[in-house]
Amino acid sequence: MDDEPMSAEESLNLIAQQNRRMRRELGGGPARMLAAWALAWIVGWGFTYVAVQPGVAIPGWVGGVLTGVLFVAAIVYTGYVGARAGRGIRGPSKTVGAMYGYSWALSSMGLSVIDIRISNFGSLSSAQVSLLWSGSWLLLTGVLYLAGGMLWQDKLMYGLGAWMIVSAALSVLVGFPANFLVLAGCGGGGFLLAAIVYFVREKTGRC
Amino acid sequence: MSELPQLDPVIHAQARLRVTVALAGLHAGDQITFPRLQQLLDMTAGNLSTHLRKLEDAEYVEITKAHEHRTPVTLVRLTARGRTAFESYTKTLHRLLDATGGD
Repeated sequence: MDDEPMSAEESLNLIAQQNRRMRRELGGGPARMLAAWALAWIVGWGFTYVAVQPGVAIPGWVGGVLTGVLFVAAIVYTGYVGARAGRGIRGPSKTVGAMYGYSWALSSMGLSVIDIRISNFGSLSSAQVSLLWSGSWLLLTGVLYLAGGMLWQDKLMYGLGAWMIVSAALSVLVGFPANFLVLAGCGGGGFLLAAIVYFVREKTGRC
Repeated sequence: MSELPQLDPVIHAQARLRVTVALAGLHAGDQITFPRLQQLLDMTAGNLSTHLRKLEDAEYVEITKAHEHRTPVTLVRLTARGRTAFESYTKTLHRLLDATGGD
């Protein structure tokens, strides 16, 4: 089989076929990771928005807990997909990927401390506290996607980061409780749109 | 009609072409372990070893043996020479297709 002569066309087909396989296995499936985050944001924040409406008999904390659970699930899923894709690979790209992952963990912990501390002063109304959280987390998400876009020279990822920063500003401008709508629609919607674009690229073989 | 360009015989064989494509798909400077490469190619260990040796003889591939947590690992990467050879191979393929009309 191996010694059978190949035509130039067969050869090119074989290259395209193996390249697709490599993209699928090593790319870590950005489409699937982003789809998981889209689901967490749209369902979690969408539910929270509904729950805080006047006249809705759902306690406010239920939305927060649901969003928390969905976020933990998305973190676990993203970590699993990333680790699976990177197994057996050694070298600079592995180091960069790990540093990027740690950047998320470190900056999330830092921002949590800041937001919790400011929220606990008690000088802000609960509506203002809500804006602090939605604005700062959308901003952090945006900045980290900008960094990812730079690291992997991925314009789509950079664009997603820019979009998240616009959403951060929008979320504090529209005020409470519409900020949850911005989180679900613009934040979650941004993830969903990016997931669809990556999915189409995977299918059509464009890198 | 001008003479058809020759394809690099080291790369122009089904199995070795796939090995080369797989290694070229890694980022420059990255290495891959033997078992992961085997999984990406669906090849038997013996078959992959044979083809890697031929690529190594041509200095297209560099094979390093290392120890990670006392476990021996075999790491494979495409050399700069291998990457250049693969690039000129694909260029030649396109030239061949153009020359034959590529119906």
